[in-house]
Amino acid sequence: MLPNFAYVRARTVEEALEHLGGEDTRVHAGGTDLLGCLRDRVFAADKVVSLRDVEGLTGIRRAADGGLVLGGLTTLAEVSRSSEVRGLYPGLAQAASAVASPQLRNQGTLAGNLCQRPRCWYFRGEFHCAKKGGAQCYAVGGQNRYHAVLGGGPCYIVHPSDTAPMLLALDAAVRIVGRAGERAIKLAEFFVLPEVELARENVLAPGEIVTEILLPPAPGLYSSYRKVRERGAWDFALASVALALRSIGGRVTQASVVLGGVAPAPWRAEAVERAIVGTTVDEKTARDAAAAAVEGAEPLEWNAYKLPLIRGIVEESLRRFHDYQPS
Amino acid sequence: MIPLTLRVNGRERRVLVEPRQSLLRVLRDELGLTGAKEGCHRGECGSCTVLMDGVPLYACMTLAPEAEGREITTVEGLLDGEALGPVQDAFAEHDAFQCGFCTSGQIVAVEGLLRANPQPSLEEIRTGVSGNLCRCGAYPNIFRAAGRAAELRAGRGGDS
Amino acid sequence: MKAADYYLDGPAPETPEPRQRQDRWGETRVVGRPLPRVDAYERVSGSAVYPSDVQLPGMLHAAILRSPHPHARVKRVETSRAEAMPGVRAVITHQTPGADIAWYTDREGATVGHLFEAHCRFEGEAVAAVAAESPYQARDALEAIEVEYEVLPFTSDYETALEPRAPAVRDGGNRASEPGVYERGDLAAGFNAAEVVVEETFRTPCELHTPLEPHGCVARWDGNRLTVWESTQGVYPVQSRVAQVLGLPLANVRVIGHYVGGGFGSKLRPGKYTVIAALLARQTGRPVRLFLSREETLLCAGNRPANRMRLKVGAKRDGTLTAIEFHGLGSGGAYSGSGTGILDWQVRDLYRCDNVRCTTENVYIHAGAQRPMRAPGHPQCSWALEQVMDELADRLELDPVELRLRNLASVSQGRGGIPYTSNGFRECLEEGARTFGWLAARSRARSEDDLARGVGMAGGLWIAGAGGPPSTAIVKYFADGSVNLNLGASDIGTGTKTVMAMVVAEELGVPLDRIQIEHADTATTQFATASGGSKTVPTDAPAVRAAALDCHNQLLDMAAEELAVAPSELKLDGDHVVAVGDPEKRVALREVSDFRRRQVVVGIGYRGPNPEGKATCPFAAQFCEVEVNRRTGEVRVLRFLGAHDSGRVMNRATYDNQVYGGIVMGIGLGLTERRVLDTGQTGKMCNLSWHDYKIPTALDVPADVTSLPIETEDVECNTVGAKGLGEPVTIPTAAAIANAVYNATGIRVWEAPLNATRLAELLAEREA
Repeated sequence: MLPNFAYVRARTVEEALEHLGGEDTRVHAGGTDLLGCLRDRVFAADKVVSLRDVEGLTGIRRAADGGLVLGGLTTLAEVSRSSEVRGLYPGLAQAASAVASPQLRNQGTLAGNLCQRPRCWYFRGEFHCAKKGGAQCYAVGGQNRYHAVLGGGPCYIVHPSDTAPMLLALDAAVRIVGRAGERAIKLAEFFVLPEVELARENVLAPGEIVTEILLPPAPGLYSSYRKVRERGAWDFALASVALALRSIGGRVTQASVVLGGVAPAPWRAEAVERAIVGTTVDEKTARDAAAAAVEGAEPLEWNAYKLPLIRGIVEESLRRFHDYQPS
Repeated sequence: MIPLTLRVNGRERRVLVEPRQSLLRVLRDELGLTGAKEGCHRGECGSCTVLMDGVPLYACMTLAPEAEGREITTVEGLLDGEALGPVQDAFAEHDAFQCGFCTSGQIVAVEGLLRANPQPSLEEIRTGVSGNLCRCGAYPNIFRAAGRAAELRAGRGGDS
Repeated sequence: MKAADYYLDGPAPETPEPRQRQDRWGETRVVGRPLPRVDAYERVSGSAVYPSDVQLPGMLHAAILRSPHPHARVKRVETSRAEAMPGVRAVITHQTPGADIAWYTDREGATVGHLFEAHCRFEGEAVAAVAAESPYQARDALEAIEVEYEVLPFTSDYETALEPRAPAVRDGGNRASEPGVYERGDLAAGFNAAEVVVEETFRTPCELHTPLEPHGCVARWDGNRLTVWESTQGVYPVQSRVAQVLGLPLANVRVIGHYVGGGFGSKLRPGKYTVIAALLARQTGRPVRLFLSREETLLCAGNRPANRMRLKVGAKRDGTLTAIEFHGLGSGGAYSGSGTGILDWQVRDLYRCDNVRCTTENVYIHAGAQRPMRAPGHPQCSWALEQVMDELADRLELDPVELRLRNLASVSQGRGGIPYTSNGFRECLEEGARTFGWLAARSRARSEDDLARGVGMAGGLWIAGAGGPPSTAIVKYFADGSVNLNLGASDIGTGTKTVMAMVVAEELGVPLDRIQIEHADTATTQFATASGGSKTVPTDAPAVRAAALDCHNQLLDMAAEELAVAPSELKLDGDHVVAVGDPEKRVALREVSDFRRRQVVVGIGYRGPNPEGKATCPFAAQFCEVEVNRRTGEVRVLRFLGAHDSGRVMNRATYDNQVYGGIVMGIGLGLTERRVLDTGQTGKMCNLSWHDYKIPTALDVPADVTSLPIETEDVECNTVGAKGLGEPVTIPTAAAIANAVYNATGIRVWEAPLNATRLAELLAEREA
């Protein structure tokens, strides 16, 4: 049962921004994460501003530079079905179709998937944890099977999004609008670690919304998304890896490798990238690169399994790329 | 409280709701349509699945005001008078349920799947009902029933 | 817990002998066929009214405020702000007159806790309740109740609950009962005689039932009469408990449970919610609906206790078992339910072994109470026993099926050596293996690919499944040849109504669509025990058969008078009665004058006693094939086969469905499910949602599941020859998966659930 709140339906972005002034005013896109957070009292809402009737926030179109522009309110189902996404960025279609369940993909939006709050049970539950202003991160000494092995501290959430690692690997940007105006920033600057910003997972200021996701052109791009979860649907990643590679004659010229489900933000595995650029990613390279993926990892009591898991999916994904041999 | 006009199973229904009320609670408490079940009210079981403009969604994760102006179809809306629709027939024929509590949601999910994809493969069927838990574990029969429903629907000429 | 506790609460009425001899069925016309359910229309159309669908004029909505702490004392409850909120009609606490009701009892029956207990011994203990005009207002009001708690130290890890520093759950410490000890033969001699010994420690997680319909009810008073629509597996246990705690005659408590959205053992009895709803309804003079939230059902509506099991088995080179030693530990929570009830039964009973010692230790922890969950104790025991058997087979270089065949028990050793009424375990193993293609699949070389395939199997038996008295059924045969079948049992989704109607159809030749069923209503049907423990068909089907035969005989008696032929010379032929020797001598039932005058024939049937000195058990063997990703430890179940000896198949469709369902639930135990408590810090439950408590989805179970009925003829168990099915189908599943994973990877996982969160590391360790 949700607490009570006022509800307004904005007709334009400007109107939505007008409403989004108050501290506990919440924006409703697909609503799937919002309603969950309100039910669990993760945060309060005195007013919910629905973007349902705002035009121009959905749909997928070609950008002038040959890339794609995805409306922030495009549903995950639309992203995964889109022939353009599948053709140009198959990894993004894979990531979008790996989210939650069919119904939630029909309702949840791409921007919402990037901005969703973490699933840490201490954060969602009745625990006054550090992220909610409390004194401690309960995951450190508690049930931390699903928590961060990289980039943690002082909070050990993992970023829950499937599309975020893929979009980061694709070097996507987001268009953000707020009362102060509009800006486009790369996803690399969008997500923040708890050591920088404990209460939030990204740089969105209160009252700002993500209106578009901008994908750069994709010529010669290979992309893939691989997710491991405990059950086949309705489950967040134990670990995932997004690859975006360019190659000439099978030799990697440009690589972006991003891990999901293992750090408080999508985690760029630069050591893997370094290990494969300039190579044809043969078996040994793949194995060595995979080993490098967990460099610096600091598992907690119950999540050391994530290390072999990360190595396993990185190696598997790299070998799949090798076998695919883009022309 | 705000007034809403909802279009449910082809009928216009006027209700007065609090904005926080889910579509599910309005369907059940205000409109007396109890086919969609409340298993969790958290978007985690699928027993409240309804079609909104033909697409399966969780009614529990939909604020009632968000449903305004949309065409809402519940399991009751799949009946043709008293007669079962093709997906319902297939579920009965293949014993695709035990306790039956998740069944409305399963049936609506399959209906939504078949509207988008009239000839799904087994894997597409499994994915199509992967947002609907069945604790009794009738899944193998649900898969068979969905396949049979595709045949029945084709035989009866498409949308039901 | 004793097996009997599973289905009976308190004394049962004496049962008369059945009125007539009932020959065993030969060829059946209706029974056994895969017929659609008689209530399929209601269940697929959305028109079935589940208790949570009941809406009454003026109905209020209630909610319960629960302790957020695993151990705390309520020092103060302030309800005035909640009472003043819009729509709120009642707020009750332990201070409310009439709400101070004794609830928990110890083994001796002494009160050890109340409906609203000021000393909260688990997270989720009821502290207060409200009734309001809308469910939202009720929840708002809960948040306005101020409670001051004295938070106390807690014990939530059952494995350390007996350590001296562990805070005591109850006066007298955390040992909930004297250790259970079972012993036969000479254990030391047995191990001395062993040539191979396998010893391991196993763990199974705390599982939650999570039926799709939450627990709860709607309660309404008419004067001093109470009607409760409850989501329950048995209306009579609800009636008796509610009547007892409210001090009402049974006749004044009507409980109706026509449909129930799953229970799996968690709805065998009423909950506090039932009584709280009744109290709120009485106080407000309005009907009250009280259904738990999903989070509440996860927190405090029962569980299958976690278990730690140490198992040591000795065998000779030829595979003969010489000794088994078992130690089990578990907790039923903070109150009286056991954490180790019938945990060791299969060790005692499944395989032939002369020297056996089982000990069980049952402890208290500050957590919600267990409730029986589908085959209590058995899947856990199977996880240990069947993995040890697999390991033993490996070390002896014997086929796992062969090892089991070499250790078949001819009698029920756990019951002192009495015979079974039937035992199809050998056939389950042999025919299951044959149909599965076991030998061919086993002999396939282990692949060295990333994806490794393996096959595994496990056997099992269920302690109960015999059913037994009491059960009373009434069949009314109307003047037009249609029938009303009246029985008290609930249909929890197993197809009870359909099977019982088929029994009537078998005996009276009435088509199913002319049989109306009245059931699960304490005001209008006969006493029945709750539907659980795999006993509904073997308990109630014989009673229904007897009632139908009673009708049948009365009809023949009347026709005999009309035709002037002895009743023994007559038979029922559709809506006619015909002389066996002379088909010309026939009369339509509607023309039988006595029947026309009476308009109805009422047949009454009782469940007769079970045979003395014999045991009736269902047996099982399951086989599966899995695929394991060697890099990640991801496990995919590719196919399953369940070979089950549950005696006669009553309806092949609902039978197969039970087999599928049991396997699906077993996959949950094997691969995905575990309750997580924040043991070291707060003792609170972490995974209070279906997102985090992971039951299998459609993508976690194979489409390729085969049900292979092993239809042993059991002429002794009861008059229909059926044994229980609902529990055995989930007993061997998880162990079969673990054995298949071993076959694929060479790695044994002793702790369930088995998935990438364990296997990834084990695979990497071996790699290194």
